Amino acid sequence: MRNVLGIDVGGTFTDFVAYDPRTRQVKVWKELSTPQDPVTGILEGLAQHADVPGIDNLRVGTTVATNALLERKGATVAYVTTRGFRDVPFIQRGNRKAHYDMSWVKPKPLVKRRHCFELNERIDAYGNVVTPLDDAEVHRVAAGIRAMPEIQAVAVCLLFSYLNPTHELRVRDILSSELPDLALSISYHVLPKWKEYERASTTIADAYLKPVVGKQLKMMRGRLDGAQVHAPAVIIKSNGGEMTLDAASEAPAQMVLSGPTGGVIASRYVTEQLNISHLVTIDMGGTSTDVSTVINKKESFTTAFEIEWGVPIQVPMIDIRTIGAGGGSIAWIDKGGMMRVGPQSAGANPGPACYGRGGTNATVTDANLALGRINPNNFLGGRMKLDVAAARAALGTIAAGLGQTVEATALAIARIVDNNMVGALRSVLIERGFDPRDFTLCTFGGATPLHVSALMREMGIPRAIVPVHPAQFSAYGFIMTNARVDRQRTTQFISTKFDAARANAIMTDLVSESLAELKSQGYEKAIEIHRALELRYLGQNYELELPLKIDTFTDANIETIWTNFHKTHKTRFGFSTPGEIIEIVNFTVTAVARTAKPALTKLKSSTAKPKPIEKRKVWFIGGAQEVPVYDRATLLAGQVIKGPALIEEAASVTVLEPGYHLKVHPQGHMLIDRGK
Amino acid sequence: MRFSSNGYYIEKYIKCCNCGMLIYGAGQKHDVAGKMQLFCSDWCAEWATLRAEHDGYFQLKIVQPKLPVEKAMKRGRKRKSKPDMVMMNILDSTMVSICREMGILLMKTSYSTIFNEGLDFTCALADAKGDMIACAEFCPTMIGGMPLLIKTCAQEIPFDTLEEGDIILHNDPYRGGLHCPEHTFFKPFFVDKKLVGFAVCIGHIAEIGGMVPGAFCGEATEIFHEGMRVPPVKIRKAGKDVDEVWKLLLANTRTPRQNFGDLSAMIGCVDLGVSRITEIIAKYGKDIFTDTCEDLMDYAERRMRAELSAFKDGKYGFSDIVENDGIERKPYTVAIDMYVQGDEVVADYWRSSRQAKGPINATLGVATGAVYNGLLHITDPSIPKNSGAFRPIRVVSPPGRVTNVDYPGPLVAGNTETHPRLANITIGAMGACVPERVMASESCTGTNFVFGGNHPDYDEYFACYDIMSGGWGGRFGHDGNDCVIAINGNCRFNPTEVFETRFPFRVENCEMVPDSGGAGKWRGGLGYTRTLLATAVPITGSQCSDRHEVKPWPIFGGEPGGNGGTQIMKHGTGEWKTVRELYGKVSTSKYANITLEPGDRIRLTTPGGGGYGDPAGRDAAAIAEDIAEGYVSAEAAQRSYGADDGAN
Repeated sequence: MRNVLGIDVGGTFTDFVAYDPRTRQVKVWKELSTPQDPVTGILEGLAQHADVPGIDNLRVGTTVATNALLERKGATVAYVTTRGFRDVPFIQRGNRKAHYDMSWVKPKPLVKRRHCFELNERIDAYGNVVTPLDDAEVHRVAAGIRAMPEIQAVAVCLLFSYLNPTHELRVRDILSSELPDLALSISYHVLPKWKEYERASTTIADAYLKPVVGKQLKMMRGRLDGAQVHAPAVIIKSNGGEMTLDAASEAPAQMVLSGPTGGVIASRYVTEQLNISHLVTIDMGGTSTDVSTVINKKESFTTAFEIEWGVPIQVPMIDIRTIGAGGGSIAWIDKGGMMRVGPQSAGANPGPACYGRGGTNATVTDANLALGRINPNNFLGGRMKLDVAAARAALGTIAAGLGQTVEATALAIARIVDNNMVGALRSVLIERGFDPRDFTLCTFGGATPLHVSALMREMGIPRAIVPVHPAQFSAYGFIMTNARVDRQRTTQFISTKFDAARANAIMTDLVSESLAELKSQGYEKAIEIHRALELRYLGQNYELELPLKIDTFTDANIETIWTNFHKTHKTRFGFSTPGEIIEIVNFTVTAVARTAKPALTKLKSSTAKPKPIEKRKVWFIGGAQEVPVYDRATLLAGQVIKGPALIEEAASVTVLEPGYHLKVHPQGHMLIDRGK
Repeated sequence: MRFSSNGYYIEKYIKCCNCGMLIYGAGQKHDVAGKMQLFCSDWCAEWATLRAEHDGYFQLKIVQPKLPVEKAMKRGRKRKSKPDMVMMNILDSTMVSICREMGILLMKTSYSTIFNEGLDFTCALADAKGDMIACAEFCPTMIGGMPLLIKTCAQEIPFDTLEEGDIILHNDPYRGGLHCPEHTFFKPFFVDKKLVGFAVCIGHIAEIGGMVPGAFCGEATEIFHEGMRVPPVKIRKAGKDVDEVWKLLLANTRTPRQNFGDLSAMIGCVDLGVSRITEIIAKYGKDIFTDTCEDLMDYAERRMRAELSAFKDGKYGFSDIVENDGIERKPYTVAIDMYVQGDEVVADYWRSSRQAKGPINATLGVATGAVYNGLLHITDPSIPKNSGAFRPIRVVSPPGRVTNVDYPGPLVAGNTETHPRLANITIGAMGACVPERVMASESCTGTNFVFGGNHPDYDEYFACYDIMSGGWGGRFGHDGNDCVIAINGNCRFNPTEVFETRFPFRVENCEMVPDSGGAGKWRGGLGYTRTLLATAVPITGSQCSDRHEVKPWPIFGGEPGGNGGTQIMKHGTGEWKTVRELYGKVSTSKYANITLEPGDRIRLTTPGGGGYGDPAGRDAAAIAEDIAEGYVSAEAAQRSYGADDGAN
């Protein structure tokens, strides 16, 4: 086991988690981020670490790709496509973001129309060449691109290239020899799946990011070396795997959701440690809340990510849904006299009224403070003193409008924000056909454990976990990542004309591509291969994923696959149509190279009753109560606390409502249930 | 309404001569302007009298029409729980989330591309009176007609006879419906055997028989050309399929396998809605649920009244022209007068043309929904979308007009072509009142090319409803969006790679049309064009569109948007021709059953949007960028803005 350091570069803080295999100790700390120059924040944080030469692996979650997209600060891209189709990125899908909003401005793609080029070539829906590619025309396009000195990268997306990539590959060969200094992305490599707009958008985003990400990662490596940190560094991918800096520079569309994946990876690790099948994770920050699931001890994946509404990046990534509800969400009264919370946020500056930085709007954090749930003297481990009077003044304005007390208003704010978060939980559980009663809620991010009991109650989730280091949980997850490659390909088959030999050839291709990609990054051992098919009834347009237990198709075992599809459809959607023709749409392969996991020390156990450090008045729906407050650092394995209670730690507070019980796990996690 | 004595069929649809609402029972005869006529209420007689006597503005506090079933329902039910604002917030977002989940199931399991790519459906929850209590953001045309659809069913299938597990199906356009393809499913939910409400799903079934594959028959002259009309019937009784209904439905379509899939998906959708809402009611209790739903509708009403009272009292009129009805080459006027009076508004369509022979007529449900749609666009988008929001809005749509079709007039394009016109003129009318909130005309057409044939690969018939999007109008502060679906829907169009995989066409281009956005201080958005080549088998095509001759209107001194168009190039001719030139059709935008042989091409072009404000006021940098990006040609810029492209 190596010395591992996980680093999560966030907007406000950069979190560090170091694991030392000799002592089996985990150390966590935070530094203020340096958004203009993230590497400085990393180096300053590293300087806090005693044993820099002892580090032999750095795992970094970075927002470099995310920020370049959000701030639209990527490269100037030339787009090359099939003749007649250069406007696909501009036309998009024709729908609108919201009804009734006439002020909506349709998003622009990451490419200018004047930088789009067409090639007179065509492949049809069967993968046959209808119009062959003319090399001379590709050379002319190369000359056209060269004549535009502002171009820094090229994206190529030809129709039906997912069925037959020969044209795209040839265009790549010619352009890379003609334009060796430009970054180049082709859709067959980035996303070999149907639907040209979504594929084009993803490919353009990849090209758009390449020069920026490549430069940033190169600079990071140089400055780490300059600071005598020679340990290899890897970047966390949006699918929760890791990849080398070189691989990341070549496939930056894979890292748009790098940082937030850590919490989900750590949650998966918790399912293994505690032998829990299904977790739903929730991470409440200042302005937004992220929700995700771990099902059968595996993260959930999606291909529905969007840079902004209507601009997709469809590479597989961990399915993390974000809503605009956080500690900074502002409470307000609308024109019909109804109180609402968010989506406007006080952000970090001026922040909630209680930060004392001039904020006058009542926020969720102000409500939690007024309810006695946050200790004004122990916020961020006492680094920031909170102003209770300012919070009450801000809440007072809303309370006056509603004709209620400050506490009743604060409780209403808490209930509404809880319901907003329940909406996000519904979207990943109930709306996907899962029963909340089969899940355990995993709460991390400094602010989430404040709401843990309320979320359990409102969502009907019987159990919850407040894991160790909830405020640095993402960086904690990075020390547990595996290397992971996801490959997908669209090739249609129907159940009445299934061709086992051809299907086997596709799977074999995908497996060897995945293994080659892992090998190029130095991973050759302990590799697991997962195969799956995406299927639907012929005529449907959305697929159900069916994991495969077999590695070779035969005429016999394919029947089992059809039967399993009918069953899965019934379970998921409430009905099935036996006898109907089934269509295979996508073949998918995931290759995972398992890396060694840290072995952590256990807490000492105790049967003694834990001792509160103080008592405080806290408001709940049923009224105010004097509630014992515990210091998490003093709790030992096996100790039990019965609600109502507060459990404080450096950067978080857990609220245990009346009727809820908490038990400390030997690994330090706190397990909550509704008591017996 | 006159039913046969056995109740099996309608002998005569009877409507109020003023507002166009169906009259069950005797109605009221009044002498207005020297003529005895039939009205639904005193209010309508009084309104008609006032309108006959005044050219200008007058006021009459609104009274909403009520069907007998509504009048019979108990009023003034005593609330059994305390009003709770937090509960309202929670229940509203939970019910919207349930409706969204219903929609996602439909999208994922349905077969037609108009469902799964087009998302041409809506999902909602209604209370036991048939009022809509929540809906998700799918297709907005449908929400206006929904309460009427459910209430007319109640006239025929008494709600106290409903059982758990029943599912009612209904598509009759003359009884609250929108057009025959729009199928409404609703499933009651009960608590302790008492009806509490319905899960509702309205969706566009692409192929329902009739004169052309895909229902959009541009040459229809009666409803029977437009596909199968379904009166309120139970497709499931107490959880069991009614096989006879299924068989009748599936015998009357060219694509029974697809329709079975779509209908099953819609049933799955209302099943899901009922199971979710039942859990929610169990959690909070029936009394709290019922009271809070009333509170939510009252709240939406308050919000809408607050918005309307900010408009200055007055009469605001606007009109537009539909170029032809597909049968005769003559234009039709759609016109609206908005009477703003305090915190209420009356929208009166009385100045619109007489009913057309062809399919451009709108049903009452369409005309009503279009006013709601238009008003929702110029008021606060966060008002909950439930029936309460519409209480202060009274729609008057006299029958026998292009804005309220009488049986058996055709109407399939009313829902897709006339609806956006009506919503746009509602918005346009309010321009005189709130200029910074309105938009010049958008494309107002779904293009609506439908086709079918025998599939070369699957040994079955295929049919497709293909939609395209056009430009938005310029609006205060922004140019119109390019290529966004008309206001009546929120449909996505088919990706080329999906389209060619499903249908034996090759798409040869998909390109924006430069200069199609009307010039203005803020110009209109662009339309686009696609060329489809028939590759393998003969394909039968029909279309219901418009704006080939009449341009999208500008506002406040802008220029109109570009026309759309349809041309065909027969194999080997090298010449583009309209269907009028090629097949002798009356209209280029509305026609039925042309045959595209392998090698033939059809080119479909959508209109751009109108411009907002004097082009002279346009920012020079915006003009230069438009030229550099090819949205506006140098010549057109010179013509409209007097600008050159800086290239000497």
